[in-house]
Amino acid sequence: MEIKYTTQGLLIYVAMAAYLAAFVMTLARLRKAGRHLYFSAFILACVALGYRGYVVRHVPMQNLFEVFLCMGALVYPISIFCRRVLRVSGVTADMLIGAIVLFPAGFAFSDQPQHLPPALQCWLFTPHVAVYVLAYVFMAKAAYQGLCQLADIKPRQNMLEPEQATYRMIRAGFPLLTLGLILGSIWGKIAWGDYWGWDPKESFSLASWLVYVGYFHFRYMFGKKHARLNSIWALLGLAVIIVTLFWVNLSQLFAGLHSYAT
Amino acid sequence: MDKTYKSKRVVLWLGLVLIAALTILSIYGAFVGAARARSFFNSVPLILYWFVFLIVLVLGIGVFPRLVRTPSLLLIHAGCVVVLVGSMWASHRGHAIRNELLGTDKIPQGSMQIYEGGSEKHVVLDGTGEIKELPFSIRLKDFGIEYYQPGYLIVQSRNGKTWRIPAKVGTRLQLAPDLMTVEIVRKFENFKITLEQGKHQVIDQPGGGSNPALEIRVDHSSGSAATRYVFERFAGHPHPGDEFQFIYQRMAREYTSRVEVLRDGRVVAQKNIEVNHPLHYAGYHFYQNSYGSEAGWYTVLGVVSDRGLYIVYAGYAMLCVGVFWLLWFRELLSAKHRVTNR
Repeated sequence: MEIKYTTQGLLIYVAMAAYLAAFVMTLARLRKAGRHLYFSAFILACVALGYRGYVVRHVPMQNLFEVFLCMGALVYPISIFCRRVLRVSGVTADMLIGAIVLFPAGFAFSDQPQHLPPALQCWLFTPHVAVYVLAYVFMAKAAYQGLCQLADIKPRQNMLEPEQATYRMIRAGFPLLTLGLILGSIWGKIAWGDYWGWDPKESFSLASWLVYVGYFHFRYMFGKKHARLNSIWALLGLAVIIVTLFWVNLSQLFAGLHSYAT
Repeated sequence: MDKTYKSKRVVLWLGLVLIAALTILSIYGAFVGAARARSFFNSVPLILYWFVFLIVLVLGIGVFPRLVRTPSLLLIHAGCVVVLVGSMWASHRGHAIRNELLGTDKIPQGSMQIYEGGSEKHVVLDGTGEIKELPFSIRLKDFGIEYYQPGYLIVQSRNGKTWRIPAKVGTRLQLAPDLMTVEIVRKFENFKITLEQGKHQVIDQPGGGSNPALEIRVDHSSGSAATRYVFERFAGHPHPGDEFQFIYQRMAREYTSRVEVLRDGRVVAQKNIEVNHPLHYAGYHFYQNSYGSEAGWYTVLGVVSDRGLYIVYAGYAMLCVGVFWLLWFRELLSAKHRVTNR
């Protein structure tokens, strides 16, 4: 764990503090202040992301530091979209999620600028990573709704019940997960000659996709009869995603073609 | 319980079991590494698995009329079938079977090494090491590497502290007030030592090889000074008595093989092959895989057959369109689903 005494670090810490303050204010029923702080946190996260892009001179999605920075900026728009369009609650939890996803960028990963290796200089770089980052935020929200269902937490008025909200979040995230997998496969063909090489990251990405394929089939078979199992399935999906995102890149167990993404 | 309902349940359960099995096998594949995973997923028991998967998918389309009536669902499931068929068609075994049946001799996957100015038509097959011949040859006009400038001199102390110094001639850095100062004195593209009039001389010899290096001057806080040579390719061991290790690091921006395709002595195609920019010619893709400079520059091109590729891509397109259509446009964003929840 390292503290960053840099402009980049400062921006991340201020954004984290704003997300946390928004969370605390909302819990303390100071909703208006919480909303303003939440929006400020989003703007700060965007500035941190933009500053990173300015420093490295490419779309900042090259490594885990940049991916988490990106997630920190995406939490707010996804949260608002889910509440207003999809009627899925969890905005207060999203404020905390915003701080949590910025934590690895702030303390765990180095912000040392890196050049893009030749393999990453492809038009598929941005869409492939961006759709995965979006999908992961939706799936994290699905897992949170699954937790709410297991803990029997009731949603606010006019919002979906947690089991239905989980289903809706997975429906929102799964097409993006599919697109990410397919774009990665096409990129693999263009860069390395194989659209599927059973690289550890590819294998875990396939596993996480399959967990949600299994979820859809299971839910189709039983509907809401086994609501708790549906929720556990969503949590399992997030667990596999976390392994795909973190462990495969960081562990020495999985040497592969995606090792530059640490 | 009627017969159709029973068969639907059986197919659904079979599908679920196969999905769960593939999830577990994929995780297993991640642990064993790409090379072993590839041979595992192409082994005979797994080939059987893929066929069973394919049959269950087709059975599913057969027994669930909804899968046929709903275009998005049909696209998703048929897309998976097309991807599986395309992958089988493109596999090494698929190539072998077709070569046997149709009398063709298409190379599934291999590599070729070509020296600058030379041409080559022989491909070393991956896995077997067997050598096969292409019906045309590839000539390497020249090979080049472009680096990000300026590169870095990395200084590492024994207690793990690291400094990055831009590798520009004249750059000086004092590591800490009580530590030494490092200065970049000279940069070499091709470091050589010659013997002239009984004296060893360090020179930068242009052409005919590559041995990038830095000459650095180290001024210790005690007042003593020393010259060190740091090589990019031979990450140095610390000089006896040195408390620091020096590493010269440059990062490639691009590798480029400028090639011509020759058929019957005539140039029929030209291309600058780079990472992410393969050459596509006569049913093969040629990729920038590796390079070397022993006895002159050479490039190593990966050669991959394009058989089955467009079938797989068609499957991807069907799957992708189907998934977005079903889950985003048909259900998620439809007005009906905003007011009613299933």
